[in-house]
Amino acid sequence: MKLGLLSIAAVAAWALVGCGSDDKGASSASTAGPTSSATASTDNLPLVAFAQANSTDPWRQQFDAEIKAEAEKHKAEFNFEEQPGEDDANKQMGVISTFMVRSPKVLLVSPVTIAVQKEVEKAFDAKVPVILLDRGIPGDKYTVHVGGDNVEIGRQAGEFIAKQLKGKGTVLMIQGISNVDAATDRKNGAMETFKKYPGIKVVLGDDCKFQRQAAQNYMESYLQKGEPFDAVYAHNDEMAIGAFQAYDHFANKPKVKPLFVGIDGCQKEVIDMIKAGKLDATFRYPDPGPKGLQIAADIIKGNMPKDKKVVLPTELVTKENADKYLAENPNLAK
Amino acid sequence: MSAGTTTFQKWLPIIQKYQGLVGLIILLVVALWKSPHTGQPGAIFHSTFYTLPNLSNIMSQLAVPGILAIGATFVILTGGIDLSAGSLLGLLNCVVATWLVKGTSTPVTIAYVLVLGTFIGGVLGAVIGYTKLQPFVVTLAGMVSLRGIAYIYTNNANISGLNDQITVFESPWLGIPIAGWILFVTTLLGALVLAKTVFGRRVYAIGGNTEAARYAGVPVNRVRIGAFAINGFCIAVAAVLFTARNSNGQPSAGMGYELDAITAAVVGGTALVGGYGNVLGTFVGALFIVCLNVFLILDSVSYYVGQGWKGVIILLAVYLQNLGRRV
Repeated sequence: MKLGLLSIAAVAAWALVGCGSDDKGASSASTAGPTSSATASTDNLPLVAFAQANSTDPWRQQFDAEIKAEAEKHKAEFNFEEQPGEDDANKQMGVISTFMVRSPKVLLVSPVTIAVQKEVEKAFDAKVPVILLDRGIPGDKYTVHVGGDNVEIGRQAGEFIAKQLKGKGTVLMIQGISNVDAATDRKNGAMETFKKYPGIKVVLGDDCKFQRQAAQNYMESYLQKGEPFDAVYAHNDEMAIGAFQAYDHFANKPKVKPLFVGIDGCQKEVIDMIKAGKLDATFRYPDPGPKGLQIAADIIKGNMPKDKKVVLPTELVTKENADKYLAENPNLAK
Repeated sequence: MSAGTTTFQKWLPIIQKYQGLVGLIILLVVALWKSPHTGQPGAIFHSTFYTLPNLSNIMSQLAVPGILAIGATFVILTGGIDLSAGSLLGLLNCVVATWLVKGTSTPVTIAYVLVLGTFIGGVLGAVIGYTKLQPFVVTLAGMVSLRGIAYIYTNNANISGLNDQITVFESPWLGIPIAGWILFVTTLLGALVLAKTVFGRRVYAIGGNTEAARYAGVPVNRVRIGAFAINGFCIAVAAVLFTARNSNGQPSAGMGYELDAITAAVVGGTALVGGYGNVLGTFVGALFIVCLNVFLILDSVSYYVGQGWKGVIILLAVYLQNLGRRV
């Protein structure tokens, strides 16, 4: 019986080997076609490696789905591979340096924090074109940075709310993590707009960490205070949902339902809630995956990008265009 | 059947003693022909895994978890566990970054952090001794508090703006980053302390049987404080290297690293109940885990599949350890 244990060890080792070959097709986005021939032919294709920050929050899930869908379109041109960094800059640096051992033709990085700067610069110095997605790094040792503009999104969200309230009312702002750029930019952009409307009063709510549950808890307490408000502006959709749920369960609702506006537009749940009239609007925080991969494909064809910065536009989603938005974005997170 | 059993019983202690090494060798052999081929000059058997850049890659990824695991081994050998290592790493990372940004000289900063780390480790050991609480509970409290202190210390912000003061640890010497050499030295010193000093023998003694050790006149509390202080010192060394690698201070740094350290020790053959194992095994265990991570990325295995396999390997390692002891 104990002899069996040695064989367990051996089997585990062999399975590890087997799993290596089985997974080759799956993770390199070339699932179609017989595995053996796909492996043989794709071995000669250039490698496009993507170091993702994490693969857990809804926005990243949509990001992953879209970049994989885009990679599928280019599977005759290059092999695409992705590894998440567990939201740990140190681990992401390990992923980048391991990718570099395989001499990728193009490296895509969605930095966890600016701490990965050194590893990105090493790759860039080794003449590998580097495409930064979403968050950037200081300096100029990268090829191109593709991302959204959170300040502009904040401005537009502020404009939408002010218009809906006809320039008069109280806006409760539910904030994201205070030391994260996305939160400060979304706040500052909106505040810029609200200043133009003297009738708009802003209540700065708590830091609810971009989390639904935290926003719900905060909103429950806020409603108990009984202070009237006309709109909730949350720095992301998850918090807008949390705030709405608290409001929904609250007994003494005001006569007019306040506005609930979020940002990201990456979840089907949010769009469905907009359709149902629960939330009023969201602003898409564009996912840089497909654009970044198109640039990578261009680089492989020999066309280096001319601009160092590509800013992706946002999109307002309301009840009017919710169905169209759903149809246009099949990869929304569930 | 009986012949097979005796053969197995003959080999079992050897496999148990060198289980990390056995695993590592299996992995290295697999990597030899499974990792993608490369035309790079100097690559052994044209394998991407066996290239000089990859050696440097592995060693720079190994230094921080490796040194943390060496420290954790001392604590585990006494029969304890340290769940606060990741939080202490985060705090010390912020201290190093803050002091360097303020303009304190590099040697002074490093010396201060080493003393601070050793002290905090020693305090944890002392608290366990005096309160008679489980190390699990005390270091769990340490994990929570030290993380909180890191956030207070940095005012909930990252510390950036480090110049190249301490990046020297990242630069290579003989193809291996200096951080890697520091890991080698730490491992050898740890092995010497455990094998050749009275303190080292006492660490094993109280891990094997605390009460028996106490009756035999071993100063259990002092030895435990020593083990935790060594652990704190190792965490401080790791924090310096971590800062050199990341060039900034993050209050959230090192989350979950204590579990990586414990995993390395266990895979390397150190028994969680204490009293059995050594730091050379831990070094091999840590090397095995980093090599496995790198191999999986080189071989395009999905991250989540890799995680699943790591769990299986840990279970296998612990099971092997327990064989022949539970009877």
